[in-house]
Amino acid sequence: MNLSAAELFDGPSRHHVIEDLCRGQRLGRHALVFVLVIAGFGGLYGAVLGLWRSPLLGFYVAVKFPLLLITTALLTSVFNWMAASALGLALRYTQVAVMMLFALAIAAVVLGSVAPIAWFMTMSAPPPASSARTVHNILYLLHTGMVGSAGIAGTLFLSKVLNVVADRRRSLKIYAVWILSFALTGGEVAWLLRPFVGSVYHPVVFIRADSYQRNVYEFVGSDILPHLLSSITEDPCQNTSPCSQP
Amino acid sequence: MSEHITVLSALNRLLKQPEATAGAMAKGVPVSTAVFLAGALGCFAIYGLAAGFFQGDLQIVIASLKAPVIVFGTALLCLPSFYVFTSLAGSELSPARTIGMLAGFCAVLGLLMTGMLPVAWLFSVSTRSILFVFWMHLIMWFAALVFARNYLRVAFPSLPERRVLRLWILMFVLVSFQMTTHLRPVLWRDPDQGVFSAGKMSFFEHFRAMNAAAFRDPKAMAQGRAAD
Repeated sequence: MNLSAAELFDGPSRHHVIEDLCRGQRLGRHALVFVLVIAGFGGLYGAVLGLWRSPLLGFYVAVKFPLLLITTALLTSVFNWMAASALGLALRYTQVAVMMLFALAIAAVVLGSVAPIAWFMTMSAPPPASSARTVHNILYLLHTGMVGSAGIAGTLFLSKVLNVVADRRRSLKIYAVWILSFALTGGEVAWLLRPFVGSVYHPVVFIRADSYQRNVYEFVGSDILPHLLSSITEDPCQNTSPCSQP
Repeated sequence: MSEHITVLSALNRLLKQPEATAGAMAKGVPVSTAVFLAGALGCFAIYGLAAGFFQGDLQIVIASLKAPVIVFGTALLCLPSFYVFTSLAGSELSPARTIGMLAGFCAVLGLLMTGMLPVAWLFSVSTRSILFVFWMHLIMWFAALVFARNYLRVAFPSLPERRVLRLWILMFVLVSFQMTTHLRPVLWRDPDQGVFSAGKMSFFEHFRAMNAAAFRDPKAMAQGRAAD
């Protein structure tokens, strides 16, 4: 069995993969390739992601980041399979699960390809210190943007698969539901597996002890948004109290 | 001597017939990547030389060495994303040919910058404000990138998703800014300053600080030139 990540790069090979996914053929083999691709490319990006805080966090995130992608794929697959069925597209569960892995394998490849750039940007940033909260926030936004963009790129290939197996109107509906479930679930899984960039106020750990307290949306609603709103309305020179860190 | 002529003729062909050159590369006709890289190296070294005339003396040599490093460093960091982005967008070029295309892109950029070299030199030797030359080089860099984008368009004529090229060029620009900041100072160096500045800094912070300082105290920013 010849397993190669090149089948994701190479147009004709990728076309064969999409055909197999649509027909439900060789799913086990494709799933294995996608998991390996996610582990390799996602691990590479993860290492860069955690490197700013410390090499140890880089190692942790190299393990956690592929875990985040694979867990997100598996957690969303059940709902996405049901949603597709409810919207009139009869696919096997394994087909949907491998499609999720396919989208995230593409995302991992994209992230792996920008890893040298992310590494350079990270290495050019001032080192972590209690005064480097702004740098942390910039890196956090940079990586969030990169991961989000790569995720969208990956799901665009899902839409190609859906366009083959369903009419345009139905495929658009299913695609919208799948994207939403990816975003909601991925955000929460990332919250549970934090730290990734590594807050300057917390020690380096594999997973935080309080990771199961609250969720990412609760945090955004109760901390991030009020802090942003108060920053806009108040005089910035008067606002010196630190807010809670993600 | 004959190799020198080969580099020039290859660059001349690239400038006048980018479609034919890129098409030949895409079809597998062996066009030496090394020729394009050598051409780009020469072009950026000469451009850096002209830019170094802003301060003069040793900075002429330093800028002529740093300019090619900025571009090649940027290209090297952006190479994996160039291959992956174009492949995912529908390109069927092999990694080796993609590297050739990127070398061609660097060569086109170098040629365009060399075309603006007399203007860059003239303003470098006659201007006192570092803010002015900073913006001049920035505008020239953008202008070169706009024209070089056309080379990428003809290099990938059948690419269904052209947006990826725009996205990649944007990344290339941002990385080139950070590379310039990383290798600072390029245009002006204080007498007690080393060839490289210590301390890490983002390009945004660097550009903002330089512009703010120049607006706050333009005379101090041009002190070196005034003393000449």
